[in-house]
Amino acid sequence: MASELTLTVNGAKQVVSSAPETPLLFVLRNELKLTGPRLGCGMAQCGACSVLLDGEEVRSCVTPASYAVGKKVTTIEGLPAIWAAEKKLSDADAARTLHPVQQAWIDEQVPQCGYCQSGMMIAAVELLAKNANPTVAQIKDAFTNKAPSPHLCRCGTYAAIIDAVQRAAQSMKG
Amino acid sequence: MSARAQTLGAPLLPGTITRRGFVKMGGALFVSLSVPAEFTYANGEGQTSLDPSLLASWLEIRSDNTIVARTGRTETGTGMSGYYAQVIAEELSVRPETISLILGDTDRTPDGGYSAGFLFGMENVRKVAAYTYHALQDLAAKQLGVPAGNLSVTDGVVSGGGKSVSYGQLVEGQNLDLKIPVSGGYAKIDPASPDGNGLAGLDGFTVTGEPKTKAVSQYKVIGTSYPVPGIPDKVTGKTQWSCDVTLPGMLHARMIRPATMGSSLISVGTLDKKQFPTAGIVSKANLVAVVSPNEWEAINAARSLASTTKWTDWAGLPGSDNVTKTIRAYPWGAPTESRGAKGPEVRAALASAAKTISATYEVPYVRHAPIGPFLAVADVRSDGSVTVWTHSSQSQGLRAQIANTLSISPEKVVVRWLDHSGQYGRTTFGGDGAEADAVILSKLTGKPVRVQWTLQEDLAWSSVSPAYVIDVKAGVDTSGRLSAIQSASYTPHQSDARLLGAVLAGMPCVTPKAGSWVATEWPYDKIQNRLEEAYGMPSIGSDATSSGLRGNIMRTPGQRQQNFALEGLMNEAAASARVDPVQFRLDHTTDQRLLDILNKTAKAAGWEARPSPHRSARKTGNAAVTGRGVCIMVRSNAYWVGIAEVSVVPATGAIQVTRFTIGADCGKVINPRQLDRCMKSGVAMGLSEALKEEVTFDEEKVTSTNWSRYKILTMAELPEIKVVQISRDDKGFGGGSEAANAVVPPAVVAALFDATGVHARRLPLAPPFVAGLLRG
Ligand code: FES
Ligand code: FES
Repeated sequence: MASELTLTVNGAKQVVSSAPETPLLFVLRNELKLTGPRLGCGMAQCGACSVLLDGEEVRSCVTPASYAVGKKVTTIEGLPAIWAAEKKLSDADAARTLHPVQQAWIDEQVPQCGYCQSGMMIAAVELLAKNANPTVAQIKDAFTNKAPSPHLCRCGTYAAIIDAVQRAAQSMKG
Repeated sequence: MSARAQTLGAPLLPGTITRRGFVKMGGALFVSLSVPAEFTYANGEGQTSLDPSLLASWLEIRSDNTIVARTGRTETGTGMSGYYAQVIAEELSVRPETISLILGDTDRTPDGGYSAGFLFGMENVRKVAAYTYHALQDLAAKQLGVPAGNLSVTDGVVSGGGKSVSYGQLVEGQNLDLKIPVSGGYAKIDPASPDGNGLAGLDGFTVTGEPKTKAVSQYKVIGTSYPVPGIPDKVTGKTQWSCDVTLPGMLHARMIRPATMGSSLISVGTLDKKQFPTAGIVSKANLVAVVSPNEWEAINAARSLASTTKWTDWAGLPGSDNVTKTIRAYPWGAPTESRGAKGPEVRAALASAAKTISATYEVPYVRHAPIGPFLAVADVRSDGSVTVWTHSSQSQGLRAQIANTLSISPEKVVVRWLDHSGQYGRTTFGGDGAEADAVILSKLTGKPVRVQWTLQEDLAWSSVSPAYVIDVKAGVDTSGRLSAIQSASYTPHQSDARLLGAVLAGMPCVTPKAGSWVATEWPYDKIQNRLEEAYGMPSIGSDATSSGLRGNIMRTPGQRQQNFALEGLMNEAAASARVDPVQFRLDHTTDQRLLDILNKTAKAAGWEARPSPHRSARKTGNAAVTGRGVCIMVRSNAYWVGIAEVSVVPATGAIQVTRFTIGADCGKVINPRQLDRCMKSGVAMGLSEALKEEVTFDEEKVTSTNWSRYKILTMAELPEIKVVQISRDDKGFGGGSEAANAVVPPAVVAALFDATGVHARRLPLAPPFVAGLLRG
């Protein structure tokens, strides 16, 4: 049965009416119209649906919405604001600045179909928060061996992702 | 610029054509409309197609000097939207950033056609842009009073005689009547279609005539790394994907698929109304679904209903371990295509050869396996109009098929294209996703319906790239050169375009006709005698009531499999002749482009000339052995080379590809950076096919239905990739990204041979298979 859940998503409080076990993905997409995270496998095997929960990557396709109550949810739509807050950018600067991971994804021309890339960027943000200067081996490890599954890209953009993570690491240092 | 000028539910770009505006124009050439958006919904005014003979259907120049261009071709994830913009910009002498594209919508684009690559898609818009350019020159000459020959154009501003005028100013209020010459028509159902897919006209309208196009030496935009337009929106979350479509009153649907691939429905189960208060059951023949305004309720209700729905037993598949046996057992008649010298000459050359080498190569069933399972939204209205939002690279073919399934005129149907997960050829014939499910459910419920397939469903029920068995034979002369090659490839159907939903609902479908084709483009002109035959059989497990394994084309279709055998044979022959495999290829061709790309790629890879296998090759032990291998391919006016370096542990059969060098000469390179990206990503897909992919099934159903059973390449398995490009100004354009996957498996197999001395003649090179092969 639906109940009221209060979520903090991309910095804003949101009250939704949903069955508490509804996967966060469907609440974000259908109730809050945040369509950055997308449905892939629906079973924690691909990473297309990844979002940050208090800075940790989770698979929103298998995370009950109720589990997100009291935590901060971030989707790719909210990444620029995180960066702006971290860098204390003026409103004017914030409005024209993307998160360095997003900027690197554009500069390195990463997305092909792009379907997997929201989750890839979320994984990159989490990785760079823990390791500001990852090697190629560490990037491969993070995108492959971290539970619950590898981040899969059927278009095969892995080389571009590695380039973009390293570019983002550089610009975040700068 | 955005790849999609329209976002669903938002106003169209100001100035974009509406039917009213279109009618008002009365065939006007240049329009500078500022008509407000009148419909954001297909069929709003009953307009379901544009007249391809009117320039305004293709191109619109607005008073601010921006341009809207329309084509039925779509972005498939390789950067087409960027390339089209570059080509149009080049011919018009404008900046590509000023161009917005409208792609793939049947009611808002004029030509239809395949999105099977740049070569197929570019020619129409290029010619239209060239016609427009010349018309603009004439107009400017009149307006400025300067002869056309004395005018020059930069960034859409025409100058001459000390005067200048922008395109936008030039066309303001103009009403010229330039017709675009076209031939062809929209896709339609044709049971006699020679391609075996039951459709005709998949090429759509073709712009005819030969307008003068820019000389390659004058190119300013083509050859530069113009950024692919849709990427920023995909990165920030602004793109509206097909999965983002929501309509008022829309129901979410989940399908309940038959227990096996050939089961019939015995009884539909029941739903507990208390548990699922707003869910409903919809069914027609073997098409069963749950609908609900709430997606999560639909998911849970579908699970519940599936557990109580009963199906007949069926066991009409051979099991994936028996595919080769099944193909061998088919009562083969004559080949559907045969190419090269006549049989007797080849047989005579083989009979008189000093030595012959024969082998059989096998490629398993694989599938497109998009990361996002497919979905479609359909709205079938009581007035008979049908709108479908989906991601198809053949919107007009899909339109024809939906009209056929619903037994209505195609004029009633509009297909709207939106971005979705890459599909690598799966939608080339219209379909192959949830479109039929969605229209049937919408018709039955009277509501807009969104059908989202699950991953399991997508990996079990979507069409597949069929298995191949290929017999090859070479005659070797006394000098070790090849005097003759004979090949015969056997495969189940691969243009079975039936819509799954229509098959299951027992509604009209296209009629596929089994066949196959010789896809190889012959690279070795020094081999005088060759005979290539292709044999096709119907889809496995398919009959009137079951869809079976609907065979479909997939990236580099036919040639990927046939070239695997041909290049395998070349490597076997080189080894038998004790000749370096790069040199062996150089020895069998006079084609300078092939010679150049082979030499350049080998050099980039640091290739050491010597025969395979390596002198320390070994097929036992726990210590890794290394090897390298090469292969080539010629496809669509492009020359490809793949060089793999591998490390193998013989005892376990575990293969690691440590480096891959890929070379391509695809004529004039349009966008070097995006080509680099596509070549590298193509290597990733090719490695996935070489090492991991196989659709498995038992006698009843597909069993590789999630990512731990249908394994694809992960990032950790990606080797260092080196890219070699040759751009040529005098060879036109070639296919620049598709074939990248196909030059991987033969190179990896050759590298495995170099490391171990053992030829692997089937894919994928999964560790148990390789270990078994090495044990002998
Ligand atoms: S959709 Fe959540 S991990 Fe695949
Ligand atoms: S970009 Fe297409 S799946 Fe990753």
